[in-house]
Amino acid sequence: MKKIDFTLNGKQTILDVEDNETLLHALREKLDIKSVKEGCSIGECGACTVLIDNEPHYSCLTLASKVSGHDVKTVEFLGDENLLHPLQEAFITYGAVQCGYCTPGMLLAAYSLLLKNEHPTDTDIKEAISGNLCRCTGYIQIVEAIRNAAGLCKCNS
Amino acid sequence: MVGSNRKRIDVIDKVLGKPVFAGDMKADRLLFAVVYRSPRPHAWIKSIDVSGALAQPGIVKVITGEDIPGKKRFGVIKKDQPCLAEGRVRYVGEPILLIVGETENAARKAMSSVKIHFEDIEAIRDPFTAEKSGTLIHEDGNLLGHRKVIKGNVERGFAESDVIVEHTYSTTWLDHGFMETEAGVGYLDDAGRIVVVSSTQNIHYKMKEISRVLGISEDMVRVIQSTTGGGFGGKLDVTVELFLALAVYYTKRPVMMRFTREESFVSNTKRHPLYIEYKTGAKKDGSIQAVKVTIIGDTGPYISYGETVCLRVAVHSTGPYEVPNVHADSRMFYTNNPVCGAMRGFGVPQLAFAHESQMDAVARILNMDPLDIRLKNGLRKGSSTATSQILHDSVGFIDTLKKIEPFWRERKKSSHTSGFGIGCMFYGCGNTAISNPAKCHLRLTEDGKIALHSGVCEIGQGSDTILWQILLETLKIDEKNVVLVRGDTDTSSDVGSTSASRQTYISGKAVYEAARKLNRYLDEKGYYRGRSLGDICEEAMTENNVIFDGYFDPPTTQLDKETSEGAPYATYAFATHMTEVEVDDKTGVCLVKRVHAAHDVGRAVNPRLVKGQVYGGVAMGIGLALMEEFIPGKSESLDNYYMPTSMDMPEIEVFIVEDEEPTGPFGAKGVGEPALIPQAASIINGIQDAVGVKPSQLPCHIERLKKLIEDKKSERRQEP
Ligand code: FES
Ligand code: FES
Repeated sequence: MKKIDFTLNGKQTILDVEDNETLLHALREKLDIKSVKEGCSIGECGACTVLIDNEPHYSCLTLASKVSGHDVKTVEFLGDENLLHPLQEAFITYGAVQCGYCTPGMLLAAYSLLLKNEHPTDTDIKEAISGNLCRCTGYIQIVEAIRNAAGLCKCNS
Repeated sequence: MVGSNRKRIDVIDKVLGKPVFAGDMKADRLLFAVVYRSPRPHAWIKSIDVSGALAQPGIVKVITGEDIPGKKRFGVIKKDQPCLAEGRVRYVGEPILLIVGETENAARKAMSSVKIHFEDIEAIRDPFTAEKSGTLIHEDGNLLGHRKVIKGNVERGFAESDVIVEHTYSTTWLDHGFMETEAGVGYLDDAGRIVVVSSTQNIHYKMKEISRVLGISEDMVRVIQSTTGGGFGGKLDVTVELFLALAVYYTKRPVMMRFTREESFVSNTKRHPLYIEYKTGAKKDGSIQAVKVTIIGDTGPYISYGETVCLRVAVHSTGPYEVPNVHADSRMFYTNNPVCGAMRGFGVPQLAFAHESQMDAVARILNMDPLDIRLKNGLRKGSSTATSQILHDSVGFIDTLKKIEPFWRERKKSSHTSGFGIGCMFYGCGNTAISNPAKCHLRLTEDGKIALHSGVCEIGQGSDTILWQILLETLKIDEKNVVLVRGDTDTSSDVGSTSASRQTYISGKAVYEAARKLNRYLDEKGYYRGRSLGDICEEAMTENNVIFDGYFDPPTTQLDKETSEGAPYATYAFATHMTEVEVDDKTGVCLVKRVHAAHDVGRAVNPRLVKGQVYGGVAMGIGLALMEEFIPGKSESLDNYYMPTSMDMPEIEVFIVEDEEPTGPFGAKGVGEPALIPQAASIINGIQDAVGVKPSQLPCHIERLKKLIEDKKSERRQEP
């Protein structure tokens, strides 16, 4: 057991975690953040993607104890009913969501990309989400959504 | 409303990460159940000792087949599959017992304390062995089904042909690969009824199975669909539902199940591997005279949808072409391989690979353009299908070819190893040659609204939104007056399953019918002349006239037992895909660069959702053609089963053809499976165009393609 102290979606969070506990488990089972999904638990699908210091990570492969002192973001950070993030708006407008299981992870991977690159090419976008599997959409409308959101959002502001 | 790109009605929640999938559910005193599965492909169970598992900390109950209170077998088509195996196992992954623990960890840990003594039986590993072997997987033998489609006289057709092309094709197992693995929660409600909430494609079927297996009446069971993370056919069969019901029955506590990806791979049904011998005869002018197809399938040890696939592939074996003489012979054999079931297209994508390879082969010999030979033979109004069904309406196949035509005629190879291929398909919407109705109802509510009660399972494809649009269009009403009550056997009627590209067409029509009735009622009561809906609802209550139901069963006929003559479907979808590929002839890497896809959907209720289906279908088609192969015993996780990523995707342009289907809602039919069906075929034809080799086995992955290219090079070198 270890106490960790980290920022979760902008809020300071203190939590007891097991030495071998994954961040995925801690977020879902201890902090009740169910938007972080499990699709494989071995780092192959991206459903469990979270941002650590704004970089996408597979939370199923990340030890919870390692995020102490870091900034962790999940999709809840992006927006809420009253104020959707432009990326979320674009996912809606361009039809980038079908079953929605991959969606939180996709949005976070996209958000991280736009932080670093305000005008990504389609290749940049495809690369940025290449670690996130989607079985429903064929990715086309996801890429379209990210491309169109890129012009609209200043993610770092 | 109909024809607009209305945003999905579930999408805001989904971009916020809010939907509750089954594995996200919570309950007080929630138990967790895991399945102990057979490690052997075929064996007698000599003894089961669960005492060690029961002694583990946190174990609440262990359930074996003996504990099942009602019927012990289940199945979509026939009740042949043991819920928990007794005495014998027939595939690796077959459930033997259920361990219920206080936590997931406790339940999983206890697995290693189960002791089962097996005595192996010879395992049948392919359908050819199954046919000959004296080892019988079931008492009645190893043949599950045999269906034929006979039209004209195929031998005469070949005799009258100028060219004959004969090839064999084979395909393998595929996994659905939905991102959300199978999951659910069961509990007892206040009335003591069994409630199961699960990730599923058909709530009413599962409700009935639970009632049979527990031996309780149907009204003591309630099944609710949780938000479902993809299905593709893999959540049609029972997955967690019967186990949850059993666990709740015995523990009286809420129970959760959530398969790991590994469990999902080993337990879920697979796409049927098919061996296809295909012979085509044509005249010099390119007109196809005769088609003879022999199909042998591996269905695994239990039926699931094996019979359905057996018949559907025979009926679709000629592809979307008018062929005067047909002999298709389709047989499915039991083996000790994974259970094969429904997967997007019910075997038709495999057949499309064969019939489209054949079309190109005939064209090549006749020196004809691949598009021209399809235009010449394509089904059109008045054509007769292989089952001698005359197509009267909504036959937009030629139009799909015409949409592609300008791009095809102007195609230019960008390098000496790039190529273009065409793939075409037709697909009967709805179940094959049986009644498959949908029922729904609209209710005027106490608070002055209209509630649509729908049993349709939305699995990501967008059916809820489609029904919503059909409803609003028919009622001509603002959507703030309407609510959707969905996915619950307590509040909806049976609509049949979300499969066979049938929900837009069949359930959509049922919604339309209900809405028409209500529309007339509202009109009578003055709604469209300004009277308030609240007022009308009140009056309806006093009249006791608040329910307006809708029903639709597509008109089909039974098929002749010997020849399959008849009308197995009321309507067909049609499509043409053209694909550009670039092959690296040293490494065998095939890049899919560009796809033009034209689909006759009757009427696009929501064009953006139609396109979403096509894009997703193209992705799955790339997997089927180039990378996906489930190898029993080897494919265990996403580490060794490869599905397309964003990097594998080409540019895709979708063309929607709307040849309206008179029986469909606003002319609509289905697109879910058609989206996938022609894609692999068009890639394979593109590969041949690019490097001159003819793949006969799917997937044509890197090593296979590399070998084909090398073999061809060495053949050339040997020629004098
Ligand atoms: S669950 Fe973490 S990558 Fe799949
Ligand atoms: S929308 Fe279903 S997995 Fe991406």
